Amino acid sequence: MTPAVVFGYAIVPLLGAAVTAGPAITRPTVQFGVRVPPEYTGSPVVKQTRSAFIWRTAVIAVIATAVTFATWGHGSWWLARVFLGCELVADLVCYQLARRRLRAVKTSEAWFAGQRQTVVADTSWRTDPLRFPLEWLAPAVAVIVATVVVRATAGHPPARAVLAGYGAVVAQVWVTGLWTGLLLAVYRSRPELDTADPARSLQRYRALLGTITRAAYVFLTLIDAGLLLAGLRQWRVLGPGGVPIWLPVLPFAAGLAFFLVVWFRAGRTWVTAGGRRGGADRDDDRFWKGGLIYVNSGDPALMVGARFGIGWTLNFGNRAAWVLVVCILGIPIGLIVLRFAAGL
Amino acid sequence: MLLSIEPDGPVPIYQQIRDRIVEAIAAGQLPAGSGLPATRQLAVDLGVNFHTVNKGYDLLRQEGLLRIGRKSGAVVARDGASGPPDPAWERDWAARLHTLLAEASAQGLDPAAVIRQAQATVAEFGTEAGDTAAGGLL
Repeated sequence: MTPAVVFGYAIVPLLGAAVTAGPAITRPTVQFGVRVPPEYTGSPVVKQTRSAFIWRTAVIAVIATAVTFATWGHGSWWLARVFLGCELVADLVCYQLARRRLRAVKTSEAWFAGQRQTVVADTSWRTDPLRFPLEWLAPAVAVIVATVVVRATAGHPPARAVLAGYGAVVAQVWVTGLWTGLLLAVYRSRPELDTADPARSLQRYRALLGTITRAAYVFLTLIDAGLLLAGLRQWRVLGPGGVPIWLPVLPFAAGLAFFLVVWFRAGRTWVTAGGRRGGADRDDDRFWKGGLIYVNSGDPALMVGARFGIGWTLNFGNRAAWVLVVCILGIPIGLIVLRFAAGL
Repeated sequence: MLLSIEPDGPVPIYQQIRDRIVEAIAAGQLPAGSGLPATRQLAVDLGVNFHTVNKGYDLLRQEGLLRIGRKSGAVVARDGASGPPDPAWERDWAARLHTLLAEASAQGLDPAAVIRQAQATVAEFGTEAGDTAAGGLL
């Protein structure tokens, strides 16, 4: 049993918990991909829909986790992935049911009739931008440098597999570069402002982004540390049995747990402090496919605030988003292809 | 400065951008020398086309309220304390005011109510130039 297989099992309850907790860290004015005017955020239909979604997804999570762990050790490693896929599909069905119900009531009761739908920008977001905490990247870079040094002193890799010999370093550089690139893109994207109270919501957004960035770099450093430990094991630096198989997973698991706790707490603070009075956001439901995927070719933004939970998503109406997806996926896929080609 | 627009409203978006910036300058939120976001950045923040913001900025530049440089970006060129405006601009403004007051008259608005509204609006901006203008109206 490898760390990847263990993670394949652990991700089933993790996904269930994240989806069930999703509504708690979603802005009240955006429920299940449906834009809701401030005066309707506490309406009975919204409360009932949220409650039904939480119960349904909680039951799905419990069943999926029970079935997955009941089959532990039986069948192939991919069995857990099949259950994960089933859980994901069931959660998506729950989301679409909730979305359909809210949209039906919103249309029949004409929630946005007579509302002034506005978009607000705070120019200080650009003229006095939030400083990117680059110093938090230093520990991750130090771990990468340490990995390179350890690898270089551990002896030369076989001539045929130079890249594979530095696999841990390549993975560290890719993960660190990807996180930093995405975070920089988020810093350049537009903030999610509350139309009812834009000035204060920008202050809260700055605090949220700063907290999430710092937590992300702690997580990233621990991922890189896990990869270093995996490298030590692979290169047999500490001798056979020097690094147990479970040790590289520990920093990753600790980092993930820390990041999710910080993410949830920061998101909860941000969401519950939102305004409830006056001013409706623009009803932009038509640009959200399935209430989750943003496609708006008239919007120059590359990244926008996610519709479910706290986070960011790409604007697939922007060509640069597709280029980014190809770049993100292309590197690991390319490396796998190279590895297979080298093995042939 | 908070810039609020109605993307689906009857007024063109570039005009709304121009109007909100003029109002912010009049209210003292954007004194002369204040920087404004680059057109592409503001376009992202408002979710509108970059050319729309460019058009709004260009209107302000033609009116002498904005200076756009390659290095400095968009900067507020003048405010209420920058002295009297260009006579040509004043003539143009008087013509627009004429049409606006004609609308009020055509709709049967009480002249006293028009003056009260003008005073209240000028007081809202609270500049010395505004007070002088209100006195002139009376």
